[in-house]
Amino acid sequence: MSRDAAQAGRHDGLTRRAYGLLLRPEASVVVVSAALIIYFELANQNFLTNANIQTLSQFVAAPVIIACGEIMLLICREIDLSVGQVFALAPFLMENVHDFGLPVPLAILAALAACALIGLIIGLITIGLRVPSFITTLGMLFLITGLTLTISRGYPANTAGGPLLTGIMGVWAYSEIVWALVIVAIMHVVLRHTRWGLHTVAIGGNIIAAAEAGIAINRIKIGNFVLTSTLGGLTGLLEAFRVGSIDPLAGGSNIMFLGVASGVIGGTAIAGGAGTIIGGLVGGIMLGVLQDGFTLQGINAFTFDIVIGAAILIAMIANIHLARLRGGGPA
Amino acid sequence: MSGTTEAIRAENVVKTFGTITALAGVSLAVNWGETLGILGDNGAGKSTLIKILTGYHQPDSGHIFVDGRPVQLASVDDARALGIECVYQDLALVNGLSIYHNMFLNRELLHGGPLRLLNHREMRRRAAEALAEIGVDIPSVEVEAGALSGGQRQAIAVARAVYSKARILLLDEPLAAMGAREARLIIELIERLRPRGDIAIVMIAHNYAQTLEICDRVVLMQHGEITFESEAAATSAEELLEIVRREYRAVRTG
Repeated sequence: MSRDAAQAGRHDGLTRRAYGLLLRPEASVVVVSAALIIYFELANQNFLTNANIQTLSQFVAAPVIIACGEIMLLICREIDLSVGQVFALAPFLMENVHDFGLPVPLAILAALAACALIGLIIGLITIGLRVPSFITTLGMLFLITGLTLTISRGYPANTAGGPLLTGIMGVWAYSEIVWALVIVAIMHVVLRHTRWGLHTVAIGGNIIAAAEAGIAINRIKIGNFVLTSTLGGLTGLLEAFRVGSIDPLAGGSNIMFLGVASGVIGGTAIAGGAGTIIGGLVGGIMLGVLQDGFTLQGINAFTFDIVIGAAILIAMIANIHLARLRGGGPA
Repeated sequence: MSGTTEAIRAENVVKTFGTITALAGVSLAVNWGETLGILGDNGAGKSTLIKILTGYHQPDSGHIFVDGRPVQLASVDDARALGIECVYQDLALVNGLSIYHNMFLNRELLHGGPLRLLNHREMRRRAAEALAEIGVDIPSVEVEAGALSGGQRQAIAVARAVYSKARILLLDEPLAAMGAREARLIIELIERLRPRGDIAIVMIAHNYAQTLEICDRVVLMQHGEITFESEAAATSAEELLEIVRREYRAVRTG
């Protein structure tokens, strides 16, 4: 190939990539989010203030961390409905272990290990006993709620720990969003640049092809359940430290659906085989901007749910049609 | 290559699925440098046999020998470790992944270092090279497999098997879902592999004339058994058709 031809080829490649980038579901969400931010800033001068950006970052962080797990599960055609209950359970596990005399950092690790164990149990039931994960985790949702209420006796508790630890874990205003961004960065690399991520996509895209290629399907699926529960527990701990108290009814289905919605709005296919972590981040930012913007505008929570529902529908419709434009067939 | 001329041999392989007997005691052997065609109707057990030889299914009874040594093919990885590689009828590519990711699926090239990250660049380069080598014309290896024609998918799947240094290549309907030009490409590829003498090919096919053209030897499978076996040169599409017709008549007259 001559140098000119090579350069032309590279130029074509760049154009194709730029075009492909614009057609990516995340791109439309970024555009919509930017438009929303401009609208809210014009409608309400307080939107882009330091105080509100703190609030906004706190709205965004938890769903985004949850989304990182759910996106991995959705891509390999599974879902975890119980992650919001693990979110509520984790801080109580930490407090109980701490009350037994374990220092707080170790208590945090113990709580996370217990959450990982819950994910492992979900995975083993789903894969080993062939129960659809929708059903497994629906059962776990109620089971873990009961467990949390039993452990807490229904009462809130206070978080322990010195200023440095609690600062890192959520008391510092931006700590939760920093956690979220670090986890997004790590999970993006896992999904796009490791065998684990590639195999997760392959399983969701064509499970027979994945099996024929010798991919360890069960190991990957169970691993993603463990990952999701652990991230759910971590998010619960971060929120508990930020608020300074532990609520047995924190998180729940609401945070789980916000996480799933962030992923889906950002282009993760409910039918599996496609999705990006960055999409989950921008989806989460869009939901956060909506929630925060409406709060500033004084629009009530009921209206918010209507808007969230509509936003998810619109995003889904847009994604399906963008996928058709990309030539990837039905999404 | 080892001292034996025999690449792979199956002895009395039986496989049932519930009440259905897919294979009722099948024995066959293929030598290095040989291409064996397996003909037969749908449901004759051809695909089940291939899936056993590639470790995807395990036989209920019977033995498999590679290089004359008895082997247990408990998984696709086991078979692969012995150099057995398969291209399946259901065109085993993942639509959402690029061509180069498909070519390296579960054999990914990694960067050095503790993170073991995927080496996308090297996989892209080698995939393009491997496809050019066997004359598969694809604009870019970054295209998603879902955007390819049936023939292109098959060509990539065959290229993947060849590239993976398979010694025993199992092809399940390699010419199905193909235009004449693309079928030609695969036929020529198979004919180029044969003279190397270090590869054994087992292919399942429907088209008698094409199979006799490509293969050195053919077997006919009917209801889970091998009912006819011959050198390709010593038989004809007419003779094979006649055997199948006789079977139909026998069924009709009861």
